[in-house]
Amino acid sequence: MSRLLIVFLSVMLSSVVAQADHHIPNLGEKATEFKDEGKEAHKRDGMSHAASLILQRKMHPELLSHKRDKTLRQGVRGGVIQLNKCVECHTSVDKNGEFIPVNAPDQFCSTCHKKVGTSLDCFSCHRTTPAEEL
Amino acid sequence: MSIIRYEQTQGKSLGFYALIAGLGAFILAALAGVYYMEHNGHHVTGMSNRIVWGLPHVFALFLIVAASGALNIASIASVFQKKIYKPLSRLSGLVALALLAGGLMVLVLDLGRPDRLIVAMTEYNFNSIFAWNIILYNGFFAIVGVYLWMMFERRMNKYSRTVGIAAFTWRLILTTGTGSIFGFLVARQAYDAVMMAPMFVIMSFAFGLAFFILILMASYKWTERQLGDAIVNRLSNLLGVFVAAVLYFVAVYHVGNLYLAENSGVENFILVDGGIYTQLFWYGQIILGSLVPLALLYSPATRGNRTMLGLASVLIIVGGIVQLYVIIIGGQAYPMELFPGKEILEGYGGIAAYTPTLAELMLGLGGIAVSLIAVTYLIKFLPFLPESLADDVADPHHKG
Amino acid sequence: MKELNRRDFIKTTTATTAGVATIASGITLTTYAALPKESNPVTNEKRWGMLIDTNKLTESNIDDMVNACQEEHGWGDEAHSTGDQKAGWIKKVKVKDKATERISNLALMCQHCEEPPCVDVCPTNASMKREDGIVLVDRHLCIGCRYCMMACPYDARSFVHETLTDQKTHMPRGKGTVEACTMCVHKVDKGEAPACVASVASDAVIFGDLYDPTSKINQTLKKVQSTQIRADLNLNTGVRYSGI
Repeated sequence: MSRLLIVFLSVMLSSVVAQADHHIPNLGEKATEFKDEGKEAHKRDGMSHAASLILQRKMHPELLSHKRDKTLRQGVRGGVIQLNKCVECHTSVDKNGEFIPVNAPDQFCSTCHKKVGTSLDCFSCHRTTPAEEL
Repeated sequence: MSIIRYEQTQGKSLGFYALIAGLGAFILAALAGVYYMEHNGHHVTGMSNRIVWGLPHVFALFLIVAASGALNIASIASVFQKKIYKPLSRLSGLVALALLAGGLMVLVLDLGRPDRLIVAMTEYNFNSIFAWNIILYNGFFAIVGVYLWMMFERRMNKYSRTVGIAAFTWRLILTTGTGSIFGFLVARQAYDAVMMAPMFVIMSFAFGLAFFILILMASYKWTERQLGDAIVNRLSNLLGVFVAAVLYFVAVYHVGNLYLAENSGVENFILVDGGIYTQLFWYGQIILGSLVPLALLYSPATRGNRTMLGLASVLIIVGGIVQLYVIIIGGQAYPMELFPGKEILEGYGGIAAYTPTLAELMLGLGGIAVSLIAVTYLIKFLPFLPESLADDVADPHHKG
Repeated sequence: MKELNRRDFIKTTTATTAGVATIASGITLTTYAALPKESNPVTNEKRWGMLIDTNKLTESNIDDMVNACQEEHGWGDEAHSTGDQKAGWIKKVKVKDKATERISNLALMCQHCEEPPCVDVCPTNASMKREDGIVLVDRHLCIGCRYCMMACPYDARSFVHETLTDQKTHMPRGKGTVEACTMCVHKVDKGEAPACVASVASDAVIFGDLYDPTSKINQTLKKVQSTQIRADLNLNTGVRYSGI
């Protein structure tokens, strides 16, 4: 019985410690500039910036799926949530000045997705770098 | 007729493990083929935008059709109350489930996005016969599972007739649904025929029974159990009747199509000048798959001979695969009539080419291997097979 | 101060948390309204259609249409696919009347039927028709079963046979899913004409709202003879042809 309690408590503790890992992802070219200028990306009114980021991390799949269904099936376009806008800010540039695909290893998406262990299906079809004109 | 005792097979001999290993090798080859096709995309197969369903679909649909037919024996026992087939009911249910599992595996692994199978199970378009088929296949597993339980559990035996009738009805709807996948396609000359649905039902009778007979004879021979002539001869006669019935439906389907001027193009293609498809139809499906087996089953020289029965069953299975090849691939190869009364010079038309690749063949054969390995294992784990089907045990009319 | 027992503590905390959560979410919802607006959903007040006049359409027009579509959407140069495996959203078709030997050239693409067989047969609702008549593949739901390709009477759909990269931003496409002409829905929603229509300078190809009595397409359809390909199937296509 006490063995069980020790196992339970150590699992709880390690999960808390794991959350405390403040690994900062490779934000991408534009996002890093934005941050360095002191602006607060994804800030929602009524919430702190940190809380907004946590919400963004948690809810981005739902927000994107909801919007994609509206766009594809009902023709609703524009608004805040657009996958290509995410890609615009969060892609990095390599030494030749070329954009690196956003879903490549060690890029923005992978840094969280690898840790959390969920696979990413968007970019088998969606463009992985900002639009050609940009 | 004495009490039938069911007994698990030993499953410890060298032969048993060799069989498992051999079938396992086929399954591994199939999985390798699937990885190759899925990783690279379908460009490595012979399929294209004109022939969208290739060899894997031929095998998959063949196994699915055979699966519902394999349940016939159990149905004849429970629904139509023919006592002599009662001891075979458990094996019949097992073979049905095993063949369906193998067929579905091949079908699912050939999808462009097999990782989205969950989507197929949760987003239903009830106008689509395909979606209905998904429900019917899953339901078949459930119903036959319950049916087997009714047969195994002594206290439940009294319900086995009711469940048997439900299973029989379900499998008829299922095979009708499978035939309707093609029958509902108005776009293509080869398919726009309601006849496809009942034709598939009759095909299922023949293919399912052929598989069942082969599995029955092999399992009794290789476990050195007795299998009397009373049962074997009845099954042999039944098989002959089913093959003749398939021939009748095929004849009606083609003759009917020939009368309709609008479909004469595709009929000409299949029956006369379709090259490989014509050869497969006449030599593969009709002669090798129907006429030769009928001769083997009914000719006085070979009647009653188990080796000939086995050969006939194998030919029926091969003929069945050929029949589905002609239907599925021949039907796609022939171009659609986009402009009646006009000839298309370029842009569309012509007989579409299709050369199956090794990966597709391996996937198809892997499906059969999965079905057979499932049967081989499960008759060891549970008592599916009667200890003896000798005449004095199994035949209700046996004298002495 | 009153002694706080466990029960009261739990009750108070739960009530406060629930209250804060309700109010907080309320604030979030109302402030969302200040952000950039999304457009409205399309309705069935419009039905988009196309009229192709084969008498006026030249072969070079059709080549331009095919090229424009390829440029716009990025299909056609799949490196590993051969022949019929390559995507073909729009095709040039040359037909000869067997009786009169008259030859017509036309462009064939998804006909955007009112009763699309592809939508009927799709098991997952991936193949869909928008309210304004444009038939699309929701590739998030597509499992790549190709049944819609079997069912399409016009051979309009293509299956992606290999891994793709460098897709156009407005046209995601990927291995293992089915695709077809979208009537340039991304342009139509901005008020522009499809790429193929825009590539033909003459009025050999007209695009517009079939329901709008003032639109050029509606008025032309009332004046000139036109037909649907495979009209006997009663699909009420959005794409019509004159001169065949």
